Amino acid sequence: MILALLCVLCAGLLHGPFQAHAADVDELMRQGRDAMAEGRLEDAEAAYLAVPAPGAGDQEDEGEYASARMQVARLRLAREDYDGAVQAARDVLAHFSGHAEAKNLIASIERDRMPTWERFLKDCQRFLPSLLSGAAMTLLLVFCTIIISPVGGLIIALGRLSSFRVLRMPCWFIIWLFRGTPLLLQLFFIYYGLPSLGITLKPLTAALIGLGVNYSAYLAEIIRAGIESIPAGQMEAAKALGMTYGQAMRRVIIPQTYKRLIPPVANEFTALIKDTALVSTIAMVELMRAADQMFNTYFNVTAIILAGVIYLFFTTVFTFIFERIEERVGVYEKR
Amino acid sequence: MKNADATPLIECRNIRKHFGEHAALDDVSITVDRGDKVVIIGPSGSGKSTLLRSMNFLETIDSGEILFEGKPAGYRTVNGKLVLDNQKNLCALRTQIGMVFQQFNLFAHMTVLGNVMEGPVTVLGQQKAEARDLALEMLEKVGMADKAERYPATLSGGQKQRVAIARALAMRPKLMLFDEPTSALDPELVGEVFEAIKKLALEGMTMIIVTHNMGFAREVADSVAFMEDGRILLKDPPAEFFGKDCEQPRIKSFIDRIM
Ligand SMILES: Nc1ncnc2c1ncn2[C@@H]1O[C@H](COP(=O)(O)OP(=O)(O)OP(=O)(O)O)[C@@H](O)[C@H]1O
Ligand SMILES: [Mg+2]
Repeated sequence: MILALLCVLCAGLLHGPFQAHAADVDELMRQGRDAMAEGRLEDAEAAYLAVPAPGAGDQEDEGEYASARMQVARLRLAREDYDGAVQAARDVLAHFSGHAEAKNLIASIERDRMPTWERFLKDCQRFLPSLLSGAAMTLLLVFCTIIISPVGGLIIALGRLSSFRVLRMPCWFIIWLFRGTPLLLQLFFIYYGLPSLGITLKPLTAALIGLGVNYSAYLAEIIRAGIESIPAGQMEAAKALGMTYGQAMRRVIIPQTYKRLIPPVANEFTALIKDTALVSTIAMVELMRAADQMFNTYFNVTAIILAGVIYLFFTTVFTFIFERIEERVGVYEKR
Repeated sequence: MKNADATPLIECRNIRKHFGEHAALDDVSITVDRGDKVVIIGPSGSGKSTLLRSMNFLETIDSGEILFEGKPAGYRTVNGKLVLDNQKNLCALRTQIGMVFQQFNLFAHMTVLGNVMEGPVTVLGQQKAEARDLALEMLEKVGMADKAERYPATLSGGQKQRVAIARALAMRPKLMLFDEPTSALDPELVGEVFEAIKKLALEGMTMIIVTHNMGFAREVADSVAFMEDGRILLKDPPAEFFGKDCEQPRIKSFIDRIM
C-alpha cells in the first residue's frame, strides 16, 4: 500500500504538478475515505496527503486538494500532532489564502496551545493601540474641562453672590438648568438639538461645551459654598484696609477657600473622568467608545476589562495628585 | 492739647441706623478732633459697634451726615435718599481710617508679615521691599517683629490683636477705631494690647475705642462717652465723667457693675 502510494508520489513528482490527473485524485480520495471507514487512520492520512496540489489552470481539483489537506489536518489534530495539523492547514492557505476553515483551525489551535496569560497579553497587544488613542481623547476632554470649569464655576459663583439681580438671576438659572438635567441629555441637545436651531457643532466642540458648562454649574455651587464658609470678618477687615470688593475677593477670600474646595473639587473631577464616557454617544471616539468598538468586533471582553483598568489608573493618579495638593495648600491652618 | 487745625477730624451729625424696626443708632452726634482719644462705653446692644462701623462705612446709615476733615464723606443724596458713595471714594476714605476688631480678623492664609504688608502693597501700590520695611517697623512698635514669619493660627489672642493693630497702622491712618479690642482675650493678655494702644496714643494718634476697661479710659481718654439704646447720653472728659459722681443713676450703676 505504502509502496503504491510512494509510486504515485514519485509519479506525481516525475510528471510535475501539471501532470496530475483527475482520476488519480479521485482514487486517492476514495482510498482515504475507505481507510477512514475501516479505522485505518494512518492509511487514510497517507492517502489524503498524497493528493497533489493543484496547478495553475487546473480548476477541477482545487476543492479536492483543500478538503484532503483539511482531512489531514483534522486527523493530525485528533492524534494531538498540533504542529502537523497547522502545517496541513497552512498548505491549504498557500493555495487558497481565503480559506476560512483553515484559518479558524490555525487560530483555534494557536489559542488553545497558548497559556492564559499569554493569550491575555496577545489580546492586550491587539486592543491597546486603539484603547490608548481613545484614552488620549478622554484625557484631552478631562484636561480641557478641568481648565474651563473652575473659571466658569468661579464666574457663576461670583454672579450668584452678587448684589445685582441682573447678575444673580442668570447665574442661578444656569446652575438650576444644568444641575437639574442629565448630562447625557445636555450633550444630546447640544449635538443633535442645536443644529435644528441653525448651530451645528463638531463632536469635540459639542462635548467640551456640554462638559464645560455642566461642570461649571457644579463647581459654581461648591465655590459659592466655599466663599460663604469664610468668616464675614475677613471681608470686613479687607474692606477696612481700603480694599475694593475685587481685591478683597482675589487676595483674601478666594485664596482661603482653596483648602476647603480641594476635596469636593477632587470628587467632581474624578466623576468627570468617568462622565467623559457619555460623550461616546455623540460620535466621539474616546476610551469607552474604543472599548465598545473592540468588543463589538472581536466579542472579546478583554477590551472592556482593559478600558476599566485605564479608567482606574486615571482616577487613582488623580486622587493621588489631589491628596498631594491638599497637603501643600493650607499649611497655615496647622498649629 | 488741641491741634492748631480747628476742623474736627471726624464728625457725625444726627446719624440714624435702623435694623428693621430696631433703632441701633438714634440721632447720634459726635465730634472727634485731631489727636483726640475718645472712649465709648455702654451696655451690650447699645449701638457702640454700629457707631464705629458707620464711621468706617461698613454700616450704611439711614440719615444724618458724616464729615471727614470737614467734608461730607461716604454718601450721596439721590432723590432725597442717602446712598453710599462709589467704591473708589469709599476705599480712599477707609485707607485713612484704621479699624481693629474684637475678633482680630487676621488674614488666616498670610504670615504676620504678609498681613501687615497686604494693605500697603495691594491698596497703596507700594513696592514689596518698601512695604516690608514699613511692616517690620509697625511690628516692632507692637513688639511682634520676631514673629513676622508665623501664621496667625500659631499666635495667642494678645499677639494676634497686636498684629491686627500693626496691620491697621501700616496704612498710616489718620484715625484708629478699636471695637472692644480686648474682649476676646484672656485677662492676662489684655495688658499687652493696651500697652500697644497706649503707646500709639502717646504718639498723638486720633482714636475712638470701645472698651469697658475703666483704668484705660481714665489714663488715656480725652473724653468718655456713654451710649445706651442707640444714643450718646453723656460725653465728658474722664475726670468729670468718673468724678462728678454721675447725676445719671443709670450710668453710675453701669460703671459700678463693670468696675
Ligand atoms: N446686622 C445686624 N442685623 C440686625 N440687627 C443688628 C445687626 N447688627 C447689630 N444689630 C442690632 O443693633 C443693636 C446695636 O448693636 P451693636 O452691635 O452696635 O451693639 P454693641 O453696643 O456693640 O453691643 P456689644 O457690646 O454686645 O458689642 C443691637 O440691638 C443689635 O442686635
Ligand atoms: Mg459691639
